[in-house]
Amino acid sequence: MNDANSWNGKDIRDMFAAGSNWMEKSVADINAINVFPVPDGDTGTNMLLTLRSVIEEADRASDTNTGAMTKAMSHGALLGARGNSGVILSQIFRGLARGFDGKSTFNGADWAQAFTQASKTAYEGLSNPVEGTILTVIREAATKAQKVAEKNPDDLIGILQAAVDEARESVGRTPTLLAALMEAGVVDAGGQGLYILLDGALRFLKGELDDLQYRKPQMVNANITATKTFDMVSSEEEEAYGYCTNFLMEGQNLDPEKIRRKLDGKGQSLVVAGDETAVRVHIHTYDPGGILAYATTLGTLHQIQIQNMDDQHVGFKEMQRQKVLPPEIAVIAVAFGDGMIKVYESLGAIIVKGGQTMNPSVKEILAAVEAVDSQKVILLPNNKNIILTVTQIKELTSKEIDVVPTRTLPQGITALLTFNFENSIRENLQAMSEAIKSVKSVEITTAARSTQVSGIKIKQGQAIGIIDDSELVAAGDDVNQVLMESLAKAGAESVELITLYYGNNTKQEQAEDVVTKIKKDYPDKQVELVNGGQPHYFYIVSLE
Amino acid sequence: MVKVVCDSTADIPEDLTKKYDISIVPLNVIFGTETYRDITDITPDQFYKRLVESKVHPTTSAQSPGYFSELFNKLAKETDEILVITISSKLSATYESAIQAKALVGDICKIEVVDSMQTIGGLGLLVIKAAEAAHGGARLTQIMDMLNSLLARSHAYMVFDTLEYLRKGGRIGRAQALLGGLLKITPVLTLRDGVVTPVQRTRSRVQAIDTLVNLVKSARNIESLIIQHATTPDDLEILAGRLADIYPKEKTFRHTVSPVIGVHVGPHVLAVCFIEGE
Repeated sequence: MNDANSWNGKDIRDMFAAGSNWMEKSVADINAINVFPVPDGDTGTNMLLTLRSVIEEADRASDTNTGAMTKAMSHGALLGARGNSGVILSQIFRGLARGFDGKSTFNGADWAQAFTQASKTAYEGLSNPVEGTILTVIREAATKAQKVAEKNPDDLIGILQAAVDEARESVGRTPTLLAALMEAGVVDAGGQGLYILLDGALRFLKGELDDLQYRKPQMVNANITATKTFDMVSSEEEEAYGYCTNFLMEGQNLDPEKIRRKLDGKGQSLVVAGDETAVRVHIHTYDPGGILAYATTLGTLHQIQIQNMDDQHVGFKEMQRQKVLPPEIAVIAVAFGDGMIKVYESLGAIIVKGGQTMNPSVKEILAAVEAVDSQKVILLPNNKNIILTVTQIKELTSKEIDVVPTRTLPQGITALLTFNFENSIRENLQAMSEAIKSVKSVEITTAARSTQVSGIKIKQGQAIGIIDDSELVAAGDDVNQVLMESLAKAGAESVELITLYYGNNTKQEQAEDVVTKIKKDYPDKQVELVNGGQPHYFYIVSLE
Repeated sequence: MVKVVCDSTADIPEDLTKKYDISIVPLNVIFGTETYRDITDITPDQFYKRLVESKVHPTTSAQSPGYFSELFNKLAKETDEILVITISSKLSATYESAIQAKALVGDICKIEVVDSMQTIGGLGLLVIKAAEAAHGGARLTQIMDMLNSLLARSHAYMVFDTLEYLRKGGRIGRAQALLGGLLKITPVLTLRDGVVTPVQRTRSRVQAIDTLVNLVKSARNIESLIIQHATTPDDLEILAGRLADIYPKEKTFRHTVSPVIGVHVGPHVLAVCFIEGE
């Protein structure tokens, strides 16, 4: 340390050693917010490992000469650079070394100049620099440092203080620059790491050694709520931020700066952008009414959007779920049973409710066809009575309609699963039609009346087993027993996978019992139990 | 002679690495704060055992520009042309590292860095082709021309038991769409534009292997082919048997999937990669 206004290589080394130790305490927190460019949760670790290599090289260089010291540090960074953030960090050290090249000692202005060089070198280092990252943070911090240095060239601590303050602000702004961060509700991890590194260096210069030892860095928070589920964000509950309020204001002599000042403190994540005639406002607030009332006094309002952010979160999840199939082709399936419908939806299908006892009308199916954005639609009727209905749809719409003639719900699921994302609609239709031949369906339902079919005597109300919606193979009072007989008749011993969807008239324990039985009788089969929730059918079974 | 450099995810059989003198740059596998260089410090056997047992999920990182620049300086003493082929830049910063190293070393010799948009065998087969050409006396510009035509014809298809590893490692790409399903799915994935992309959802490993075989069947004039696994040699054997009448078994390469990729795909990955004819 040095109280005079002339600093040397040892000071630079100690600054970054302190900064690096400071950052080490936050590695897990930094990892937790890492979503960009790849959400792999290792930014903090990578920065730390890179910094360790920097400090190792610095310790080896006994030179107090600043130029030689930063050159050694730059070399260490290059050798130790890990991951994306590490590579950028190594560019930053390279820039510092360039800036200090030939300098034995330095003052505040020299540091600001080298720091600016570091920022430039970081940008040069990337084939595709992205704003809202560590790059933005260093650039803005360096610009600030330069400004202060012009006034007080000898005040290193003041200059670094200004840079650290600006870095903190800059980190807070990163979500407004980078959509991935906004969606995940986090600030940029690399930027956060750089801020903490600089903060540690500053604390060291200011002599706050106890703080460095006993306290933990303060993370910059995003102050926005995630719109996208992101499992790696720390499980800490984010507090509610009320309503996300967005609108465009048009008028004359509008003053965005004044509007921003006025709205500041009325909510979170305030963004006011625009010019004299049009200003866009984004704010998370508990009181959207108050914001709008104020805005109407200044101009006319357009594109007003107010959303409860908790609902937004749910809406986004819903949207993600429906994005399974590429939008050029939609698959519309007729299905029933809450659980069954969920299975279909999770595989990307759009549902028209209906089935055995309540066939959907042509009108209902047509409405679904017209409602999807896709021009090409594949229909899965999942019932022989509905096959005819859907075939009529072709005549009634300008969209390209194809039907895979599925007769049962298991066939429909197999057809959906066969959908190949890389193939054309023709190839898909062929593969789907082919695949449904490989699945056998067993349905266990109740006999509507007493009768005799294929030599089997049936009393009304008994459980009956039907294969592929056509062949009655078993009847009896014990539902599970009928299921076991039907499976045997359907050739369960020659399949690999038995999926059991139990209906809303079957208890889960009863279904689990029969799964145990199936596993015992067919020990080498994969057996899956799904709550299909369908009415009328105790079980719908898929054999494939 | 052109010196060929690639990264450890290329999974090139050792005899070919030696025969063609290919320089392999290891990526890093990180358990907590312990760093291992792929293959060099941790063998696939050791790694997959630890992957299953370890409570800490490992991460991976690209090799440093410094490592590349030291290698370039060393190779420049033996050659005037270096070709680097890397794992997809959408999956790793290795490409960026190599590009920076190229800028660092300046004009010591001619260096080209190619983003393969691939990894595992999809990358490895390209490297083998390039190294063969280099051994045959081709100059760097000729090999670059060849690669330009080969890049779009190299394919990697992988079978996964679970997407958990891809999701944890942040490389799930377009296969994001397959998450959250209610049925157990065994997905078949590929790399498209360098990003993980779903090909097909199957319900079992047997169906998934069928899909791999069909993908190979529908390819035109296969020029080279590699099959890979991590901890399932029996499945590799089954796959080899099924492919034997499509492509000669004795010409088919075999290899494990490197630890760095293993972090992201898990111990039950099964893969087939090939270069299609023109």
